[in-house]
Amino acid sequence: MLYVVLFFLLFSLLLYVMLGGADFGAGIVELFASKNNRANTRDIIYKVIGPVWEANHIWLIILLVILWVAFPVYFNIIVIYLHIPLTLVLLGITIRGVAFVFRHYDAVVDKSQFWYNWLFRIGSFMTPIFLGLSFSALINGKIILIEDHPSASFYDIFIQPWFNVFGLLTGLFYASLCAFLAATLLIGESEGKSKQHFSKSSATFTVVLVVVGFILLTYGYSFEIKFIQDFIVNPLALASVALSGILLIPLWKFIKQQRKIASRYLAGIQVILILFAAIVTHFPYFIITSNEEISILENIAPESTINNLGWMLIIGGSIILPGLFHLMKSFKMIKILEKS
Amino acid sequence: MENLDYARLQMAFTLGFHIIFACIGMVMPFFMVVSHYKYLKTRNPIYKKLTMAWLKGVAIFFVTGAVSGTALSFELGMLWPGFMKHAGPIIGMPFSLEGAAFFVEAIALGFYLYGWNKLPEKFHWFTGVIIGVAGVASGILVVSANGWMNAPSGFDYVNGEFTNIDPVKALLNPAWFTQALHMTLAAFVATSFGVAGIHAYQIYKNRNVDLHLKAFKITIIIGTIAAFLQPISGDISAKDVAKRQPAKLAALEAHYETQKGAPLYIGGIVDQENQKVSHKIAIPKALSFLAFGDFDAEVKGLNDFPEDERPPVAIVHYAFQIMVGLGVALMLAGIIYLISIKKKSWLQCKYYWLIFVIMAPMGFLAIEAGWVVTEVGRQPWIIHQVMKTKDAVTPVPGMKYSFFFYLVLYSILAITVTWLMQRQIRSLNQKID
Repeated sequence: MLYVVLFFLLFSLLLYVMLGGADFGAGIVELFASKNNRANTRDIIYKVIGPVWEANHIWLIILLVILWVAFPVYFNIIVIYLHIPLTLVLLGITIRGVAFVFRHYDAVVDKSQFWYNWLFRIGSFMTPIFLGLSFSALINGKIILIEDHPSASFYDIFIQPWFNVFGLLTGLFYASLCAFLAATLLIGESEGKSKQHFSKSSATFTVVLVVVGFILLTYGYSFEIKFIQDFIVNPLALASVALSGILLIPLWKFIKQQRKIASRYLAGIQVILILFAAIVTHFPYFIITSNEEISILENIAPESTINNLGWMLIIGGSIILPGLFHLMKSFKMIKILEKS
Repeated sequence: MENLDYARLQMAFTLGFHIIFACIGMVMPFFMVVSHYKYLKTRNPIYKKLTMAWLKGVAIFFVTGAVSGTALSFELGMLWPGFMKHAGPIIGMPFSLEGAAFFVEAIALGFYLYGWNKLPEKFHWFTGVIIGVAGVASGILVVSANGWMNAPSGFDYVNGEFTNIDPVKALLNPAWFTQALHMTLAAFVATSFGVAGIHAYQIYKNRNVDLHLKAFKITIIIGTIAAFLQPISGDISAKDVAKRQPAKLAALEAHYETQKGAPLYIGGIVDQENQKVSHKIAIPKALSFLAFGDFDAEVKGLNDFPEDERPPVAIVHYAFQIMVGLGVALMLAGIIYLISIKKKSWLQCKYYWLIFVIMAPMGFLAIEAGWVVTEVGRQPWIIHQVMKTKDAVTPVPGMKYSFFFYLVLYSILAITVTWLMQRQIRSLNQKID
């Protein structure tokens, strides 16, 4: 059962990174769109992500619940040492979520739209950045567990683990991944001029993604971040990143041929490959502190809890996934069942 | 004030904020589907307009409830890591089920909001029903976790270790049923009277009376039924608290000395130093009867508990009085409505509508007071008789700033949502006039 739970943990992580990421990315695409394109982008985003965005963000809650129920040690480290960046993540989630709904459900359309729009864009940009910062803190070996160093300062314990160049690069990497996903998604839902616009931004964010990814790896390697060093010598991880890079070529072909569903699957596969590379490198040691590597499989919840959670996830998943699938199909996010 | 106090303030404030939005998000879909059903049956365009107006309300309240709920699920760990570390594996079941219910709700909302003229009519209506049912299910499940804090079960606590964990037993803890029933009814009372009051105000101002009268009727009927059921559930809750948390019962009644045939105090000013209650109305033997169903039963007083295990008496007592008082007032308002069904002339009277306008916020105040009773009444424990709140708080310093951060953020949010609702109503009146 432990592996069922672990599967759902990684599955929710993947879906949050992808679906939640595409939501954030939509805001980022809008943020970087030229003034003329913004209004148009806003309308297409509403059409495309409107029906599904709330469901997309529940993966974060599922992820969190699995962590705290089954992996209390991991959860405890995350909520204590990442208190500040997570608070900022929550700020981002809050302002972009409410701004998105306010701008479409406000009964009066007036100047307040200006504020909703900017809050949505800024919230969409800051959330993946701080998510990236938080994730980087778990793997960069800078977290000092308080029991070890009672003399360490507030800055050493609660700020320095995430507030650094590596963290910022990770944040930017995730933000550009989000934007890349969103642009690829939006191409399929637009026509004419806006299609060109999204194709252009998809291309831009692909380049940004590759460049930031390269800088991230180089920086991590040269500043001796263990996770990256291990990553670079792991053949499986390297192979999946390389494959993900190669897949950019057919992706562009599909986009040009207007095969929107195929291109979405391909973009999804690329994210899976990147995530797989990150996970395979250090499994099961996902938290690297200043002096130890902590395995996710140690000090877990008792067996009765894990079994119970596993069953809950299986039952819950069998109710939710068909519903979610139907929702996405109804609003044409996926079209696998239609033959045309 | 210490870090602990600010952490508690932040928890109280964010929970208090979330509860209001969650309750509205949970109950309003029912109004929406009733109105939608009437539209499908009568094809009266007024019902369609009303459904659309309530739907916008649902969307706005749902998102505010959802984001504040997401923040809360983080906060549980960020503020109380000591609690979550041990409690997480035990009470994970209600949370994982709640996550599933919430997911279903979000999916149904996606269908309902975007499904107009796209989905088959009946299926579309049905997705609206799912929103409401899933919302109530999430509420009931999440209350189970709180019930567990009051009535910890499903584990053995030996030498500071939690062993023999049984998540199903923890989910089905003895406090769950009474608390969930009381809270669900409270959500229906508060939201119904809240929404009814808003429409009553429009009628009072003589704006678009036709539509607002229909809205008022749907909401007030639901609210009145819930308001009449609530005292029954309150009685069950009181007997339950008397049995399991005698210190909480003593605090909410400001009952200091253990005695047989204990009197019930109504109102009164608590003097915590001298352990006296002045200016009260005392009903002889009533507390013994209400708590144990026996006029001569012994009710344990606060003095029988060690000093460091007594909850703050004054706050709990006042909050309890406010909750019960408002509950009774809402029931009276329900009676006024029932009489007005026979005496139609009352509907022409401005004061009639004014009563419901005044009652609009009262249910929510009662809910907040009720949560103060149950949460402050459990202190100093975070898990009753097992873990103290001060042992669960985060080691991260500076919770003061965190508290003010949420205070500012949520205050702005609350003001904005209120303002948006005002705009909704104004445009609703304009469109038709």
